[in-house]
Amino acid sequence: MHSVSDPRPGRGRTAVRTARVVGLVALVALVAAFPSLAPDSFILSVGVVIASYAVLATSWNFVGGFTGYISLGHAAYSGLGGYATALLILRADVNPWLALALGGLIVAALAVPIGIASLRVRGASFVIVSIALVLILLLVFQSWGSFTGGSNGLRVPRPFGDDVLRPEQHERFFYLHAALLAVLLLCWWAIDRSRFGMGLKAIREDEDKAQSLGVPTFAYKLVVFVVSAFFTAIGGGMYALWFGYLDPIFQFSILVGSYMVLMSLLGGIRSLFGPLLGAVIVGYAMEFFKAQYGDTQAHLIAMGALLALVVLFMPDGIIPALGNLVNRFRPKAASIRELTAEELTVQREQQEVRG
Amino acid sequence: MTASLTLQSLVLGVLLGGLYALLAAGLTLYFGVMRVVMIAHSALLILAAYIAWFFERQTGLDPLLSLVITVPLFFVAGVVMQRLLIARLRPATLTMMSVLLTFSIALLIEGLLGFVFTGTHRRIQLPYSGTHFEFFGASIAVVKLIAFGLAAASLAALYVLLKTTRFGQALRATIQHPDAARLVGINTDRVAGYGFGLGLATAAIGGTALSLDSTIYPSLHWHWIGPLMAIIVVGGLGSIPGAAIAAMALGLSQSLLQIPLGTTWAQTLFYVALFATLMLRPQGFFGGRLAQRF
Repeated sequence: MHSVSDPRPGRGRTAVRTARVVGLVALVALVAAFPSLAPDSFILSVGVVIASYAVLATSWNFVGGFTGYISLGHAAYSGLGGYATALLILRADVNPWLALALGGLIVAALAVPIGIASLRVRGASFVIVSIALVLILLLVFQSWGSFTGGSNGLRVPRPFGDDVLRPEQHERFFYLHAALLAVLLLCWWAIDRSRFGMGLKAIREDEDKAQSLGVPTFAYKLVVFVVSAFFTAIGGGMYALWFGYLDPIFQFSILVGSYMVLMSLLGGIRSLFGPLLGAVIVGYAMEFFKAQYGDTQAHLIAMGALLALVVLFMPDGIIPALGNLVNRFRPKAASIRELTAEELTVQREQQEVRG
Repeated sequence: MTASLTLQSLVLGVLLGGLYALLAAGLTLYFGVMRVVMIAHSALLILAAYIAWFFERQTGLDPLLSLVITVPLFFVAGVVMQRLLIARLRPATLTMMSVLLTFSIALLIEGLLGFVFTGTHRRIQLPYSGTHFEFFGASIAVVKLIAFGLAAASLAALYVLLKTTRFGQALRATIQHPDAARLVGINTDRVAGYGFGLGLATAAIGGTALSLDSTIYPSLHWHWIGPLMAIIVVGGLGSIPGAAIAAMALGLSQSLLQIPLGTTWAQTLFYVALFATLMLRPQGFFGGRLAQRF
């Protein structure tokens, strides 16, 4: 996926563009039609779960995709978003939708000091803080029972009246999630094409070089980190409103954070639709596993094995792999293209061998 | 808070700190030789504890004897893991991808332990499990003392190995500057493999020590990885003495804070220390140039 448009010979370019537009229209139509195509309420609820995963994975990808900083603890922000929304409704009697937005803003404000602490140094500390944050929040939310409901969990009141039945609820929340996802994809796309996005991608490829070229690396990383935390919190809040129940064990779980990573990585963290594709595949597989094997440890093994396979054999994800396949049948691009630091090294080595 | 109670928790803190120090030294080794944040370290710790428990249940022998099996086994597993898995990753994205890889190993270990031994809490019953002795009014369990002795002895052995042997010198050179180490003729790939093996060996020893006086279950490793990670950051990534000192200090403080705050809130100390360190001194308190860039 090249965001710097490359002037290729005319016909191929229009064909690709047409294919993209058709694909996008088909995707939108599929999403819009899904609730009426779903045979029963259960399938519809699976659809909502997958949409929620897609929202979370895409939010994660603002940090992971642009800067290459892998956060294993984004469950902290989705969990906090869910709890903030629920607690605002329950304790302060705020309108649910207002609570959702406020919750997102509160989490974004919290993300500022966390980001300052974890982004001042390079990747390793960032990962450690991201994991530590989930573990500490789990401890706090379990122990502080008087405020958060503790291990007993917290019941979230439904935003729609009692006269709205369950299938109707699922349908509404499916569309709400889809709309949120559309906003996220639009933001990602806009950043991807902007100067800001170029700076972030420079950080991903070589942070030292980016810094010496004048990219304000720390400020850029912090801004995109806060944006990512905000969207993740909104995603978590939306999920809380739909599901209606929060338990610290499931909200602040390392596993939830690692699902976001796995989904994005599987689809391709450099691609706009990568996390969405990953969420559909992994989310479907997970629901299938749950239905087949129940709550055994099998899903841990499957998840671990899949993550290891993706990291070892397909770290770029499905979409770039497919893209390479298509590119084989296209004329070679001659002008400026985006290259990763990895590709550059390979090219240079090849040239050295030849020369 | 009475004097004897304080003394009691001081002693317990030192005993706990010793185990933390050994495990944090292992984590530091991985980070030093390969810049890898090894999330599976605590899962391997629990795995070793399960092996000790299973060994005791099957043979009736003292679980400490299982060290004869687990230490070489884990060392070889570490070398294999480094050569076959970690070394395969691309250098450009090594730090991030290795985190995910070791994370997936941790999940696999947890899942397999749950699958084979179920999630039931397990505990080794030893003839000397309940034995205590008095130390100026503080009562100390013998098993805790054995665990500490084991950790202290291994840490001392590691220190001697690193400081006096040729291999230790090569290992430290690899940690300090891999390129320069290669220039003077050190086979850094092999040394990195052995470094990984040593790290896993510390997990084997720590796990056996842990199994003596703790209840174990598959998801226990999440309770260990957080504190251990905090320790290596506070000590300064890549510095073994720093990790050991931070482990002792934090282990002691945790033990002392348990009396007024209770166990759960005392655990948050590690995370507070982690955030405070990153805010005030991101390279850690004993780390040098190396830690600054990570």
